[in-house]
Amino acid sequence: MKASLRPRQGAFGSFGGRFAPELLTPALEELETARREIVPTRTFRDELDREARAWVGRPTPLTSAPRFSARAGLETVFKREDLLHGGAHKANNVLGQALLARHMGKSRLIAETGAGQHGTATAMIAARFGMEAVIYMGEKDMERQAPNVKRMELCGAEVIPVTAGARTLKDAINEALRDWTASLSTTHYLLGTAAGPHPFPRLVRDFQAVIGREAKRQWRREFGGLPDVVVACVGGGSNAIGIFRAFVPEKSVRLVGVEPGGAGLDSGRHGATLVRGTPGLLHGARTMVLQDDEGQILEPHSISAGLDYPGVGPEHAHLQETGRARYVAATDEEALAAFEVLSATEGIVPAFEPSHALAFVLRARESGELPAGARVLLNLCGRGDKDLETYFALGRSPVRDRP
Amino acid sequence: MSHSALSAVLADGPAVSPCLVLGDPTPDLSVEMARAAVGAGARLLEIEFPYSDPVADGPAIQAAVQRSLAGGTSTSRAFELLGRIAETCPGTPLNLLVYGNLVHRIGYECFAERAVAAGASTLLVTDIPLEESVPLRRACRRAGLGHVELAGPLTPAARLQRLAAVSSFVYLAGFQGVTGVRRGGFDAMLHRVAEVAEIVDVPLCLGFGLSERSQIVRAFGAGAGIAVVGSHLVRVVGDLYRTPSDADRLLSGYGAAVRRLISNG
Repeated sequence: MKASLRPRQGAFGSFGGRFAPELLTPALEELETARREIVPTRTFRDELDREARAWVGRPTPLTSAPRFSARAGLETVFKREDLLHGGAHKANNVLGQALLARHMGKSRLIAETGAGQHGTATAMIAARFGMEAVIYMGEKDMERQAPNVKRMELCGAEVIPVTAGARTLKDAINEALRDWTASLSTTHYLLGTAAGPHPFPRLVRDFQAVIGREAKRQWRREFGGLPDVVVACVGGGSNAIGIFRAFVPEKSVRLVGVEPGGAGLDSGRHGATLVRGTPGLLHGARTMVLQDDEGQILEPHSISAGLDYPGVGPEHAHLQETGRARYVAATDEEALAAFEVLSATEGIVPAFEPSHALAFVLRARESGELPAGARVLLNLCGRGDKDLETYFALGRSPVRDRP
Repeated sequence: MSHSALSAVLADGPAVSPCLVLGDPTPDLSVEMARAAVGAGARLLEIEFPYSDPVADGPAIQAAVQRSLAGGTSTSRAFELLGRIAETCPGTPLNLLVYGNLVHRIGYECFAERAVAAGASTLLVTDIPLEESVPLRRACRRAGLGHVELAGPLTPAARLQRLAAVSSFVYLAGFQGVTGVRRGGFDAMLHRVAEVAEIVDVPLCLGFGLSERSQIVRAFGAGAGIAVVGSHLVRVVGDLYRTPSDADRLLSGYGAAVRRLISNG
């Protein structure tokens, strides 16, 4: 059975592929050709490196976190993607794809967004490159991420509310795919995560892989050797695959992806696709999805709009199947507590998304999910400004750990 | 019904194929609508299974799918309704339009067998294109179900030939975009129909955007053997049906709309 299910294009084991309507085939083939022929050229690499330094703000530092580490009982170091332009790792991908789109002669960018980070990043690069930008965003996400909507509009993007389904990320991707089907001759679909039909999972991964390459080099120089564990949150999975990529061949390094456990895995209200999903076809790929017994896609839940997605990048499904990476979940409550702990112990206000990864590290020693003495590299993939409004509305009390 | 029934129907000349979404606006009424369409002269029907994420469909069919899912039409229920339609409309080939995850979830073999048992003649899986459809086609072949591939305005000639080689008929989307009624652009579309009809050696089905008899006549003239009318008819459901008391109004209105597409004058 498994052999027959192996996708014919862009496979990661039995996952991946190009399960998109035929009308998108010309656009996907054009993109794959560009990925193979333009991305590896010296001209493209030079442009990408220059812009990554001058506009995105690469390289980002590694930051050791002694007070957080003491709290967790595990030595933890952060890769500071929260310091990138726009406040999240999303800038790496939008820069790469927008450059590629420009080389392909496309003048219009469309994108989906959940938390608004990818939409904001797309709006920013479109402004810099003088391209038109249209962002599809679920109506529910527009409510919970209002500041990001304003930021996108400020950068000159048009934000189109999506009212179908649960009005979140999944529905925004559907709408962007519909737009692209009609507009592919002028338009590049700047997909924000390492999911979707081939070649998107590879394209996005390759633009995000700079995170892991840099971190590995920095760790060697600053601490020597390799970390024992690399941890990242997983929604669609682009920041996680970005930091994992360089460590996949290093068998001594454990890779842990943390999914949104929402109100708890047994509540049915979560977005833990790898932990609790089953194989299916969603948004162009065979991957793990949250679905019912007959294949209708279920509505996920997470306090983090950026992780609120019923699918996941197919390479993660493969890394899980082969056992190379392990995937766990952290609940909304655990993530909020971790958000408070990092703010109070290190003066870094993280986004709700990496707060899930932080939550895992905070509990891992006690739960036995990580051994004592493990040195952890955590991808701090975004800063929390966008979540402050939501956080304050919860009426929680911050952590007070000093006299 | 085997897919050879399709050749029998097409031997009598080109055919209009009304499209409906199973379970829209209610399970029973979708069966009655199929009967009304055949009563109005339809010799083929296109039947869409409701799915939560219909990425190839425009607003009209999305709304129909939502009505259907809200009414509780699961895939099992959809198969049951399909079986009732096949019984109600004997001799009418039924082409299924299904999204890949519904087929993948219960297994390609199982889906194809259930489709044949329920009376389907052919199957088009919207988001499983040629390269990825190998196991699906094998399952269809084993079950005796015709397989249909989708083509578009930009599909090159060589690829059209490859699609035709594995299809009972080629389903050509007349416009680059999602399903839905279009204004204008018909001349270019007719030119494309004529071009594709020259290339493929199986019947050519034209869909996406058709809403008037005059367009259909011209499409047949250009070489289409089947003309699917989807969004236009599905919109009739949304327009005519609000409460259960609208059932008769819906069925007569739907039948009349189908008749206008089929008969001249």
